[in-house]
Amino acid sequence: MASGLAAASLSASLSAGASSNVITVGTLYANTGSFATSSMPEYAGLQFWVKQVNAAGGMYVAPLKKKEHVRLVSYNDQSDPATATTLYNQLLTQNKVNVFVADFGSVLTAPAVTIAKDQKHLLFDITGSGTSFFSSGPNPYVALTSLPVSAVWPKPVVGLLSKLKIKRVAILYCQNDFDQAQAAAIKGFLASEHLQPVYFQGVPTTQSDYSTIVQAIKGANPQAVLEFGYPNNDIAFLNQLKSTNTHFNFVLTPFPGQLPTLFRQDVGAKALAWGYTYAVPPILRINKVNIGLGLNAFLQKFAPGKASTVNFLNVAGYNAGLAVQAAFAHATSMSQLGIRAGLTAVSGKLQTLEGTFALNKAGAQVGELLPVAQMVPHGAGFQFKIVYPATAAQKAMVNGTPKYPAPKA
Amino acid sequence: MIVAAVLGAGPTLYNNLAFLTTLAIYILLAQGVNIVYGFTGYLPFGFVGFFGAGIYGSSLAIVYWHVGGYTAIGLGALTSVVAAVVLSPLLRLSGAYFALATLAASQALYFIVANESWTFGESGMSLPLIFSPTALYVVAVVAVTVTLIVVFYVRDSHFGLSLRAIRSDAVSAAMAGVNVVRTRTIAWLVSAAIAGVAGALWALMTSAFYAETPFDLTISVYAIVFALFGGVRTVVGPVVGTVVLYSLYQYIGISNPQYFELIYGLLIVVLVLFLPGGLSSLVGGRGDRPAWWNRLVRHRAAPESAPEVAP
Repeated sequence: MASGLAAASLSASLSAGASSNVITVGTLYANTGSFATSSMPEYAGLQFWVKQVNAAGGMYVAPLKKKEHVRLVSYNDQSDPATATTLYNQLLTQNKVNVFVADFGSVLTAPAVTIAKDQKHLLFDITGSGTSFFSSGPNPYVALTSLPVSAVWPKPVVGLLSKLKIKRVAILYCQNDFDQAQAAAIKGFLASEHLQPVYFQGVPTTQSDYSTIVQAIKGANPQAVLEFGYPNNDIAFLNQLKSTNTHFNFVLTPFPGQLPTLFRQDVGAKALAWGYTYAVPPILRINKVNIGLGLNAFLQKFAPGKASTVNFLNVAGYNAGLAVQAAFAHATSMSQLGIRAGLTAVSGKLQTLEGTFALNKAGAQVGELLPVAQMVPHGAGFQFKIVYPATAAQKAMVNGTPKYPAPKA
Repeated sequence: MIVAAVLGAGPTLYNNLAFLTTLAIYILLAQGVNIVYGFTGYLPFGFVGFFGAGIYGSSLAIVYWHVGGYTAIGLGALTSVVAAVVLSPLLRLSGAYFALATLAASQALYFIVANESWTFGESGMSLPLIFSPTALYVVAVVAVTVTLIVVFYVRDSHFGLSLRAIRSDAVSAAMAGVNVVRTRTIAWLVSAAIAGVAGALWALMTSAFYAETPFDLTISVYAIVFALFGGVRTVVGPVVGTVVLYSLYQYIGISNPQYFELIYGLLIVVLVLFLPGGLSSLVGGRGDRPAWWNRLVRHRAAPESAPEVAP
């Protein structure tokens, strides 16, 4: 067995890291398990980037002053962080990849962050926005490519609440880093306005029964209800509103914007009508870019004739590839810090289909802020209207005014 | 010593230290299962609870008290032992009831850890790097060596004999003078301590994680499968079972990731069908061996014995 493993590792080394005229990018994906529905679209986006780059003759590698083809080395972690730990190591120690890209979300990214810091190897973290990854000071080996850290997300929500003069806010959040950070940010804003949420309750991330919770929120008589959960929580909460025919004037949930097809199917257009969510690409149509494809071109090339099937995670996977491309194009050397220097050089200047790519010293994404969209009924379905921008640059993208209070469906 | 030497030479054969350290951790867990199930007959489906307790015991000690790596390992083991003491009334149950009760207990531990802010259940644990990967692997090999010595003792000592007597018939063992409650409780605590050490090593290796990972029930399943495949009630069986199956797990995961579950699942089904007593049964007494193996051995031995049976 040991000799088999040794032989496998040797062949992998020869075929990937040691071969010339190729830059190897390692990644993991989950084609089974709880993260599969999110991981696979992200992986498809990254694969698409590799195809695009190689079709163009490779990507420019500044230290070598020439273009190199890209080879993607990938393994299936089956949504298991323990398996991911050994496979991330496999990418670094056996395949000797030049850089590596994390799997979806904070749970599967956590082992990669440890390994990146430990082995001083540059990690491109696509969607692992856990605060703990970026809270221990400057870190040159992790770069969050696609989402701002969780606590930054609600910034435009705060602006919208203020604009609508909403004072009585109910906040329901799941007890995980992603949701709790958002809840705490909103609570902090209200405190600065000398306000307290009329309802502030955490529930386990596994929560699926919201019957008593909805009644309790109703009893607090809020002007706005903010539910911060993962997709399954959002779906369960919205379905509870639907089944009990409960109406609130303002309801925000994070994930309908990222996974509209899933929400249409599991919640229904009628129940989603007039709700608010974060607007991400492809709702957010950014075509003015200085690297890669703009959103419209991406939709056409990624899924010709099926643009409606493209979701944010496809875009996020592709965007991670663009970050890799920019890092090598501006790298000062082929060392890990040299490649990271390339990212620093473009931070704040790179315009991708997700917006401005900007990192802070800890490697957290501080650009690409998400505006707020409202789901406005349209025929038998609904369409997203961006109603509040997160940055001044996004003001031009606003294409609707918030309908408040929300009409009863 | 042979096992320790082989593990020590591991990095020269395959230098993915995360894999090798995880392998050592699973050997510890399989040996923990070996002690509590192999020698006493109590199948702990929720064994992962002790592993998780060790992870959080050591991690919280590092975060709040800034202890060193060795102290953290000791405190991880201690935390698991405390959890085992709290759960020791479960030993009043037996069979499927015991298995299910430990499963429920491990999930209860998970929900406590996952929903408390002082355990960083919400934000995730983030530890400083204390050991280099090489140093941690050396510590893991030492832990495996010490554990194997403990299992040797359990197998060959009067204490081990008592455990096997309890496994066969607790009432008869008690009538023969074995203190059943005390003996099986000691085995329970020892297995928990081993799982706690394994958990602490895992925490030091992983350093950034969320609560769902340490309490993943798959860990229990693997530890039990590895121990059973190698053969329980032996010292080397769980080691061989872990090395073979976990290496295959890694190998298939790398070479054929798209067929991973299919190949690995079929493999385990075939192995369980043809080797129900584990690999160690092949070298055990005739009564322990699978029938097909006895037939094979008899056919091979036939030419030598032919003159004696011929008329």
